[in-house]
Amino acid sequence: MRPILLQGHERSITQIKYNREGDLLFSVAKDPIANVWYSVNGERLGTYNGHTGAVWCVDVDWDTKNVLTGSADNSCRLWDCETEDNQPYLSLPCNESKITSAVWGPLGEFVIAGHENGEINQYSAKSGEILKVAKEHTKQINDIQSSVDLTMVISASKDCTAKLFDSTNLEHIKTFKTERPVNSAAISPIMDHVVMGGGQEAMEVTTTSTRIGKFEARFFHAAYEEEFGRVKGHFGPINCVAFHPDGKSYSSGGEDGYVRIHYFDPQYFDFELEA
Amino acid sequence: MRDTDNMEAEMEYDDGEEEPSFSDPEDFVDDISDQELLGDVLRDKPQEADGIDSVVVVDNVPQVGPDRLEKLKNVIQKIFSKFGKITNDFYPVADGKTKGYIFLEYSAPSHAQEAVKNADGYKLDKQHTFRVNLFTDFDKYMSISDEWEAPEKQPFKDFGNLRHWMEDSDCRDQYSVIYDSGERTGIFANDVKEPIEVEERARWTETYVRWSPKGTYLATFHQRGIALWGGEKFKQIQRFSHQGVQLIDFSPCERYVVTFSPLMDTKDDPQAIIIWDVLTGQKKRGFHCESSAHWPIFKWSPDGKFFARMTQDTLSIYETPSMGLLDKKSLKINGIKDFSWSPGDNIIAFWVPEDKDIPARVTLMQLPSRNEIRVRNLFNVVDCKLHWQKNGDYLCVKVDRTPKGTQGVVTNFEIFRMREKQVPVDVVEMKEGIIAFAWEPNGSKFAVLHGESPRINVSFYHVKNNGKIDLIKMFDKQQANSIFWSPQGQFLVLAGLRSMNGALAFVDTSDCTMMNIAEHYMASDVEWDPTGRYVVTSVSWWSHKVDNAFWLWTFQGRLLQKNNKERFCQLLWRPRPPSLLTQEQIKLIKKDLKKYSKIFEQKDRLSQSKASKELVDKRRTMMEDYRKYRERAMDMYNEQRPLRLELRGVFVFSGGVWTIIGEKN
Repeated sequence: MRPILLQGHERSITQIKYNREGDLLFSVAKDPIANVWYSVNGERLGTYNGHTGAVWCVDVDWDTKNVLTGSADNSCRLWDCETEDNQPYLSLPCNESKITSAVWGPLGEFVIAGHENGEINQYSAKSGEILKVAKEHTKQINDIQSSVDLTMVISASKDCTAKLFDSTNLEHIKTFKTERPVNSAAISPIMDHVVMGGGQEAMEVTTTSTRIGKFEARFFHAAYEEEFGRVKGHFGPINCVAFHPDGKSYSSGGEDGYVRIHYFDPQYFDFELEA
Repeated sequence: MRDTDNMEAEMEYDDGEEEPSFSDPEDFVDDISDQELLGDVLRDKPQEADGIDSVVVVDNVPQVGPDRLEKLKNVIQKIFSKFGKITNDFYPVADGKTKGYIFLEYSAPSHAQEAVKNADGYKLDKQHTFRVNLFTDFDKYMSISDEWEAPEKQPFKDFGNLRHWMEDSDCRDQYSVIYDSGERTGIFANDVKEPIEVEERARWTETYVRWSPKGTYLATFHQRGIALWGGEKFKQIQRFSHQGVQLIDFSPCERYVVTFSPLMDTKDDPQAIIIWDVLTGQKKRGFHCESSAHWPIFKWSPDGKFFARMTQDTLSIYETPSMGLLDKKSLKINGIKDFSWSPGDNIIAFWVPEDKDIPARVTLMQLPSRNEIRVRNLFNVVDCKLHWQKNGDYLCVKVDRTPKGTQGVVTNFEIFRMREKQVPVDVVEMKEGIIAFAWEPNGSKFAVLHGESPRINVSFYHVKNNGKIDLIKMFDKQQANSIFWSPQGQFLVLAGLRSMNGALAFVDTSDCTMMNIAEHYMASDVEWDPTGRYVVTSVSWWSHKVDNAFWLWTFQGRLLQKNNKERFCQLLWRPRPPSLLTQEQIKLIKKDLKKYSKIFEQKDRLSQSKASKELVDKRRTMMEDYRKYRERAMDMYNEQRPLRLELRGVFVFSGGVWTIIGEKN
C-alpha cells in the first residue's frame, strides 16, 4: 500500500484523531497549530491557530461540530470545526501521578485515565472518585484508546507492552510485547487486530539503527497476541496511531513531523493466522 | 579513648597560671596494640637470634688439602657473599682434607634463606654440584617421628557425571549467558525453536565467566579467587583463593589453571601468577609478573607437558608436573620478541629482530630436545606476527617490511608447511595493509581482510600440497573488520563489528560464494558453536547500552532466533571435548550419512509438526476465549443501546412522525 504523506507541521506530531464518519483526520503537534485533513486524499482542509504552546491532544465530537484541543500553554480550547473561532475552555488541575492519557467510558458515566506511574484508573464522571484500579503496567502510560464500540480500551506504555482491558471492569484481557517503548496503540473496528507505534525516546534516537525509514508500526493479532506485520516509513519514532472508523485504513503520526495515511490492500482482510 | 572527658577536667585552670596537663590519667589503658601502630617498623625490629637461623650447610664441596684451602675459601666467599654478609665460616677437616661440607653463618636469617634458594644446585664444576640447606632444617628432618601416621582419608565428593551435557539426546550444545549487567548468569541448551534454560543463578560471578578448553568446567570470578563448577547440576567442584584475581587461563588438558592478580605480589613470595592443580586444588607454584598486557603470559604446549614464558632476552620453559625449569635453566635468546606453541606438536616458533649485521629470523624449535628444526632469515623487518593453523599443519608469519630504498611498509606472508620434510616455506606478497588474517581450522585455506576503509577486500587462498599458494577468490567493497571461521572449516562469517555497525556476510569457501548478507545492528561479538552448525551474533551491554540481545543464525546465514535479554553482556558456547571416534569410524559414518540423515529428518519433522500442533491448539483455545468475551461485551453493548440513543438525542421516524428520544445535553 502506498501511503499518503501529510506535511503540515513543523514539529513532531503528538496526536491524530479521526472524526466519527472518518472523512476528516485531525492532527496536532508540538508546534502551536492544529490541522484538519480530508482522509480520502490527504488534502488539507484548514488550520486552527490560537494556541501559544505545544498542542498535546485533540478530539472531535460526535457530529463533527466542535474540536477540543489541549495544550502546554495550560489551556484547553474549544473550536468550532468550520469557522476556526475558538473560546478558551477550562483548564483542569491534576494531583499525584500525572495523568498522561484519558478516554470516556461507554455511557459517559466514567473516565478511564492512564498515569505516569503505569496505573490505569476509572474515575466517576460525576463525583471524581476512583471506581476501579488496574496496576498492570510497570512504566508510564503513553496513550489509551478505546475500541469503536467503547467496550475495550488499549493502553500503550513505556514498558514496551500494550495491554487490552475491558472498559467496564478494567479486567486485563491481553498483552502485546515488543522491544521498544510503545507510544500509541489502536484497536481495529472490523478485524481482531491492534496496531502499535513506538520507538526510542526522542533523546535516545541516535543510538538506535538510523537507517532511513526504519521506524515501524506493528500489527498484532488481538486474540493470539502474536505480531503478524510491520509497516515501515517513518523517519523517527511513531507518536500516535489511529484506525479509520471503517477499519479500511489507518494513520500514524511521527516524531519526524509527518502524518502517513495507509489504505490496506485486499490481502490484509483475508489474512489469517493458522488455527 | 576517653580524652574528651579528661579535656574537660583539665580545662578549669586559672588564666595563664598553670599549663593544662594533657597527659593521660594514671589508670589509663591503651587499647591500641603496638602491631597496629608500628606494624611496619616492628618488622625490622632487631630480633634476638640464637644464631642458628642464619647458618647454612653446603654439601658437595670439593675435598681439598691445606694447600688448596685458601683458594677454596676464596671461591666459596665469592659465590656465597652475593646473598649477604658472611660473618662466620667453618670448614671441618678430617685426615688432612676438608670433609666435603662446610658451615656458613650470615648476618641475618633472610640472607641464609636467599642462599638456600639460589645456590642450591649450583654447579661448581662437573663433579661438584652444591647442595645448600638451612641448618635448622637438619634439626627438623632429624626429629621426624619414627611412627608413620597414614594421612586422613578425605570423603569422596561425588560431582556426578562431569560430561553430562554431552549425553543430550538431541545433541544440543550449551552456552553461558551473562545478563542484567552481570547480576544474572544462565546456562542454556541451544534448541532451534528457543533456548532451553538449564541453570540460572543470580550473582554467580562478579565479572565474567570462562569455560575450560574441553568444556568440563565453568570458571566464575570473585573478589577472593575463582571457583570451578560442573556436572549436571553445576555444583562447585573446586575453589582457588587468589585475592583480586583478574585473569585466568587453563592448560589444554584441563589439569592446571593459571590465575593472575595484580594485588598479591610481594618481593619474597611471588603471588602475581599462581598455577593450581585442578583436581587436588593445590597451589603448585607462584610467579612474579610485571604486567598483564599480553595475557596469557604462560603459553602451554598442546599436550600440557610444558609451559613457557618470555621475559627480556629470555625464554623460560617449565615442565609439568614438577613445575621446574626444563633442564634447570632458561634459554637465552637475545632480543626475542614473540613466541608461540604449535597447537599440534611440542614445537615453539619465535622470532628475533635484526641485530646489526644479523638479519631478523624466525626459528622453529622442537621440545624437549631443543633442536632447531627450521630457521628462516628475513630482511628489513619492521614487525612479525605468528599465526598457527589449528592443527599445527601450517604456520603463517605475517612480516611487515620496509624494502631497501623505499619508505612504505609492505606485508608478506611466510607460509611454513609443517608436515613436510624440512618445513618448506613459501611467500605470498600482499599489496595492501592487512586488517585481519585467519586460517581455516582443519583445512589448508586462509582468509585475509586487506585494504583501507571504505575499500576493504577479502581474499581467500589455498595452500596446495605442491607448494603453490593459490588465490581462489577476492571480494571487494566489504564492510568487515573480523573473520570468523566455523570450527569445522569451510564456512566463515565476515563481520564488521562495533564501528562498522554489525554488517555480516556468510561465505562458503568450497566454492567461495556469498551465501547471505545480513546485519545485526551494533553487533559486538560473533561466536560459532563448537559443531559449526550455528552462529550467534550479539550486542553486549558492555559496548552498547541499548538493544542488548543475541541472535542465532544457521551456518548458512539464515536467522533463526532473536533473543532479547535485559542488559545482556556475554555469551560463550560450551566447548566440546575431542571426539572419541577414530578416523576410520568417522569415515564410515560419513559414508552412511544418507541413512542417518533420513532418520534425523523424520525426527525433525515430527518435532516440528508437534510444535505447530501445540501452537495451533493454543491459538484455538485463545480464540475461543476471546470470542466468548466479545460476545458478552456485545450483548452488554446492545442492551445499552436505548441509553445511548437517549444520551445523544436521536430522532426516530416512527408512525409517520419524527420524535426525539431524550434530550440533548
